[in-house]
Amino acid sequence: MRLREEREQEIMDKKDTGNILPASSDENQKEPNYWRSFRELYNDPEFIKERNLEFSKDETSPPDTNSLSRLSRRKFLALMSASAAVAAAGCSNYRDKGVLIPYNSKPESVTIGNPTFFASTCDGCSNACGLLIRTIEGRPIKVDGNPDHPVSKGKVCAIAQASVMNLYDPERLKNPVDRTDKGNPKDIAWGELDEKIIGALKSAAAGGKEISIVANSIISPTAKKVLDDFTVTYPTTKIYSYEPYGSETKNSAWAKCYGAGNYPPVQLDKAKIILSLESDFLISDGNKVEAARLFAEGRDVFTGKEFNRLYTVEGNASLTGLNSDYRLILRTDLIEDFVWCLLNEFLIKQRLSVFASDVNITSKLQNYSLEQFISANNLPKEVIGHLVSDLSKNPGTSIVIGGSLLPESTHIAINLLNEVLGSSKLYSKEKNVHQIPISTPSEIDLLISNLKSGKTGVVIHYDTNPVYDFAKEFGYADALKNAPLVITMAHIINESADAGNYVLPLNTMFESWGDFQPRNTFFSTQQPVIAPLYNTRQKEEILLTWAKGNKDAFKADLYHQYLMDNWKATVLSEFKNEAKFNNAWSAALNDGVVMSKSVASDVPMQFKNEAVASLNSRMTKNGDFVLLLTKSSTLGDGKHANNGWLQELSHPVTKVVWDNYAAISTQTSKSLGVDVNDLVKITTSSGELEIPVFIQPGIAEGVIAITSGYGRTVCGVVGKDAGFDSNKLLSKGTKLSPYLNNDVKVEKSSGSYDVITTQDYYPFDEPFYKDIQYEREIIQEGTYLQYKSDPDFLRREIHGEAKEEELEYGSINKQYKHTGVKWGMVIDLNKCTGCSECAAACNVENNIPIVGKDQVKKRRMMQWIRLDRYYSGTPEVPKANFQPMLCQHCDFAPCENVCPVAATTHSTDGINGMAYNRCVGTRYCSNNCPYKVRRFNYFNFRDRFRDGIQLEESYSLMANPEVTVRSRGVMEKCTFCLQRIMDERQVAIQENRMVKGSNVKTACQEACNSNAIYFGDQNDKDSDFYKFNNSNLGYHVLDDVKTKPNVTYIAKLKNVFETEKSEAHN
Amino acid sequence: MSFDSTYTKELPLVENNPTLRQIDDAILLPTQIKPLKGWWIALGLSATALLIGAVALGLTFYYGIGMWGNNQPVGWAFGIVNFVFWIGIGHAGTLISAILLLFRQKWRTGIARFAEAMTIFAVMTAGIFPVIHTGRPWLAGYLIPLPNQNGVWVNFLSPLLWDVFAVSTYFTISFLFWSIGLIPDIALMRDRATTKIKKTIYSVLSLGWTNSNRNWSNYERAYLILAGISTPLVLSVHSIVSFDFAVSVLPGWHTTIFPPYFVAGAIFSGFGMVSTVLIVVRKAFGLQHIITMNHLDTMNKILLATSTMVGYSYMMEFFIAWYSGNPFEMFAFANRVLGPYNWAWSIMVSCNVLIPQLFWFKKIRRSIPVTLVIVLLVNVGMWFERFVIIVISLHRDFLPSSWGIFYPTITDLSLLLGSFGFFFTFLLLFLKTFPLVSISEVKGVTEGAQPTIHLHPHSNGYPKEKA
Repeated sequence: MRLREEREQEIMDKKDTGNILPASSDENQKEPNYWRSFRELYNDPEFIKERNLEFSKDETSPPDTNSLSRLSRRKFLALMSASAAVAAAGCSNYRDKGVLIPYNSKPESVTIGNPTFFASTCDGCSNACGLLIRTIEGRPIKVDGNPDHPVSKGKVCAIAQASVMNLYDPERLKNPVDRTDKGNPKDIAWGELDEKIIGALKSAAAGGKEISIVANSIISPTAKKVLDDFTVTYPTTKIYSYEPYGSETKNSAWAKCYGAGNYPPVQLDKAKIILSLESDFLISDGNKVEAARLFAEGRDVFTGKEFNRLYTVEGNASLTGLNSDYRLILRTDLIEDFVWCLLNEFLIKQRLSVFASDVNITSKLQNYSLEQFISANNLPKEVIGHLVSDLSKNPGTSIVIGGSLLPESTHIAINLLNEVLGSSKLYSKEKNVHQIPISTPSEIDLLISNLKSGKTGVVIHYDTNPVYDFAKEFGYADALKNAPLVITMAHIINESADAGNYVLPLNTMFESWGDFQPRNTFFSTQQPVIAPLYNTRQKEEILLTWAKGNKDAFKADLYHQYLMDNWKATVLSEFKNEAKFNNAWSAALNDGVVMSKSVASDVPMQFKNEAVASLNSRMTKNGDFVLLLTKSSTLGDGKHANNGWLQELSHPVTKVVWDNYAAISTQTSKSLGVDVNDLVKITTSSGELEIPVFIQPGIAEGVIAITSGYGRTVCGVVGKDAGFDSNKLLSKGTKLSPYLNNDVKVEKSSGSYDVITTQDYYPFDEPFYKDIQYEREIIQEGTYLQYKSDPDFLRREIHGEAKEEELEYGSINKQYKHTGVKWGMVIDLNKCTGCSECAAACNVENNIPIVGKDQVKKRRMMQWIRLDRYYSGTPEVPKANFQPMLCQHCDFAPCENVCPVAATTHSTDGINGMAYNRCVGTRYCSNNCPYKVRRFNYFNFRDRFRDGIQLEESYSLMANPEVTVRSRGVMEKCTFCLQRIMDERQVAIQENRMVKGSNVKTACQEACNSNAIYFGDQNDKDSDFYKFNNSNLGYHVLDDVKTKPNVTYIAKLKNVFETEKSEAHN
Repeated sequence: MSFDSTYTKELPLVENNPTLRQIDDAILLPTQIKPLKGWWIALGLSATALLIGAVALGLTFYYGIGMWGNNQPVGWAFGIVNFVFWIGIGHAGTLISAILLLFRQKWRTGIARFAEAMTIFAVMTAGIFPVIHTGRPWLAGYLIPLPNQNGVWVNFLSPLLWDVFAVSTYFTISFLFWSIGLIPDIALMRDRATTKIKKTIYSVLSLGWTNSNRNWSNYERAYLILAGISTPLVLSVHSIVSFDFAVSVLPGWHTTIFPPYFVAGAIFSGFGMVSTVLIVVRKAFGLQHIITMNHLDTMNKILLATSTMVGYSYMMEFFIAWYSGNPFEMFAFANRVLGPYNWAWSIMVSCNVLIPQLFWFKKIRRSIPVTLVIVLLVNVGMWFERFVIIVISLHRDFLPSSWGIFYPTITDLSLLLGSFGFFFTFLLLFLKTFPLVSISEVKGVTEGAQPTIHLHPHSNGYPKEKA
């Protein structure tokens, strides 16, 4: 630097002194030989000067500060960032994206990103199971069972699982509607509506006209009080209570046999021998959630408890029947004869109980002989022999359960049989409670005759749909036209609302307060977990407002206050002090359950033999056909028809979705000359129905079984016209029962209709397919006796005498050693009934779209877990196996190495993951999956199904924010509920501990009613899961393919008398 | 000592002994006259088919793969069937050009150019399908191993990735081979061009070809090297395509016989397609003396040979399925014969194995109508072979619970039609723009084109040794 400056100075000095000569003169005075420009040639002094400088002129001169802006750097940065912020704010119209407000004061127990759980109660049916509702940032997104609930014990059915969809259903009624002018329904304000209706109610009461409230069974004590208050204000009120596909005959038989009350819960867990007569108690008959759990407790190999043995005698091919150890096929109208024959066997032949000397009873049995019955109906003598000896050898630990659709006379016989066998010990001390007795058919007749004769002033459909529900014999729809004012409270438009004047939108259970007392031993509470989404009210507060006779009586917490006041007076009456009551009330809401302090003292039940003695009408075989109307396990009585998740949950036995059908046997189809999908016309005295045929293996000849809840004509777009209205064949129930009819005419009709199943049917009795599930070792079975004598029989069958270490597969692949956590699942096929609750839960947890019937027909179902059903035997006498099938998270997953873009890879904790964003959609993984558990988004199903109803805004609130919503063209599959595993990992990191397998529960595991699914860490040797995972009954499906799955199935043990598996098959 | 000269004398490869000028004229005629009515009709048909396919493709892009009949067990159907079918068609060209060149089979000259062109167009057609069959074709770039900010690499274990490399390499080499072979002919066309546009285009494409000795020797060297490179590709491409199936665990796919079986099948189908089109083209363009009956006869012999190889493979698959004792394997093959798709299997066996056996008879080999019918059936049969392998194996695999059935939709059929439209549109345009037979090579194999030695009428046929 100094040098240059000096040199510059030197040149300047020379210039100044005028001592400037050509550059050459400075050196040796020669002209250059090579020159780059004339300036150089002529030794321009300027050039010489520049040449000697390293940089050109001006470059190093200091800047002129005066020419610069006065803006300071600090100010410049401030201005720049401000303008950037203004530009950013100006460009994005954030105002349109809603209001984003952080919690100014954070609600207690809410942490952003963490779910909050609320205990509540389900109002899907009269079982009132306890719920635990998972909400994230105020949105309920998942429903599970409340573990503290004494009956449901943390489990709920598919209807409850899918109920979040009812909350967010965009077709919900959003405002009260005035439909007085049918052609021009218009929204009406609540105040105006209340005023009009109160006026009408007052004038009806004053004019002595009946105010009919048509309700389902009322199990809420406070709702009962509301109705009482209402009746006080309007004394002409009459309440009709009905339960579609309920247990009317069972309860009335009980009342006849024991004087009063309802058929009690049964302690199935204590039963050694169970005889089910046309009862599908594992899925739809009675309290399924409780029954499935208790039944499965009796089939748990890990407790070491003796297995129970289930016999079924049935005409329909029910899920319970196909799960039983011995299944006898008998026309439903012969079942009563069968019970009398059994009674004859036990009372006359074996003289088992005190009733043997009761002439009133024995005289009724003279004409029945079991031997003759067996030979007349071609029943397997050996099995009946086992049944008779089992029943007589297990007094007090055997139980006979009759299906709710059987007539009263059959139930009376069954009650007697249970008395004879000493089975009444298994009746629970708890009592099923109805706050208001269920109306008898004659009471309903009265309702209708009052309507017809103009004695009725106002009809209120209290969240019911009697136009659809009632047997058409009653003629309710016609009679309703005479009613001056029909008010329907509903969630979604329905047939009754369509026929009425006012439609009042209701809160769902997520928006409602309530209490329930399904049994006398406890109360359960219902609390809102979200403010009403629309302009809706809950049905109790509507009635309460009217009961107060003043529209201004309504306020937002009207029913909440009323409920608390009622509890203060009744359930929590011991807490006199306000503060103590508030604590107790909060505790009750927190727990969701309050046990009754005062349970009525245990009066021993006395069987009244006059119930039998006075029995005149009996069910006998009649005609060629028996019609059974069975309750749908998914749609219930049709109330849930607009829930697409339930519509798409396949029937557990037939695997049919979106439809009901007339299930008949192969012989019946031959005699009628019809094939699958052909329409038949079924005519009974109550009506006629055209319905497609579905050939169901194992159904008795002549039996026609139709599932309820379909064929809704006025409904949202999802449920409308799905299936056929079986209620057209419902009878008043004066002859046998409303759901059973053997005075039926069936004839082939013209045309056909596609009934769609999720599992294709193949002729399983042909040699080509016969026992393919056993041959391929998909289903492993044994008998309970075999297991007891040789617990290792299965291991030996699969692996021979090979030792544990020899079983390690020799593979060219180097296996990754999972040293830390390695997730795994165990599914106990002894406990699994095939009910599909797991699939319902998985749908909700993992944001699985509804694809619609047409796409199921193309076999593009999206459910991540499916219930495989395999038949063996013959179509006449089949055996069935059920197997939940989900991603097996194989150690050597065939899907992983074929994905060209590495979108599906294995994690160190043994999970086969899917990177949706990476997936190109080649479907190679699916082709190479031996279990075919991968699901491909062939379309954007949300957009395709019903004109994109799943893209409606309200549905977007329903999505589980922890699970990606997949786009079209992407492969997906079970992730072992990875989001839950990640939650546990998060907590483990916070708590500075290792991840613990038992802290994670998958959605299917939580939902499984019979606790057949276990999930955990395979490497945690101290856990229970380790025991399950290494059970000597454990096997992997398709072991031969050597994929090394991480889902272990516990082989099914049939509790039969045979000791060999082969005999059990044949 | 009797000596029948017909046995030793090779049949002339170009009949009627045309002059070089006549060869030029005959082969270049289609490129120099206005298109005939028949060509317009053919182009109209194929362009219509192409448009139908384009509409179907548009629908597929807009709505998703759901427009096809694919479903849960059958994840691959028409898309991949078409891919393998067209890749197979693309095998005849390179086989004829490269392998037969190396084996000095001079008869190849009459058909090589055309077969190579078909290869290029068939591979182009085939190349469409792997891209469009993906659920999200706009992300197909993920299959290219490019370093990216996500740090996700392609999966080199996946045969689909091998496909990407195999097919793109094959296309590149085939295209180079074909375009280098075209240079002398294009130079000829340049010299004969009558309009300025043609002159310009052909001048550019001929890369300054001057027919100099130096040109020719470089050309011959390059051609031979590319033939050497192409030869293993003929075997590798379809072997790798077969790995898509053989590497999987699916019964009916998981078979070691697949690579040779697929290559034989590919050559079979390629020759089938070349024959089909050539029979029409040689008639339409009056090239019977250049693409002679002897050519067709030889091709029919190759068809017979490959058909028998394919038949052997079919038999061996069944034998191994039975011999393995594996119930899945046995069922998969029994299901081909007895299952719901047995009609497809029957079409495959009769068209690919039974009917081509007629080529044992010389009369049939040399009958053009019969040959045309048989080769058409070979095309049908080979399409069904891929259908049988892909769809039948998939529709009933391990778990009977997930068995299903596949029905093609109108979109599937339109895309199949469209693929033919795409192929034939390119082929028809090729016929109008480039010589469909290699003029320079044909000139080299006409009678009297080779250097000859004047023989003494009484000599033993060999030149006299110098004393």
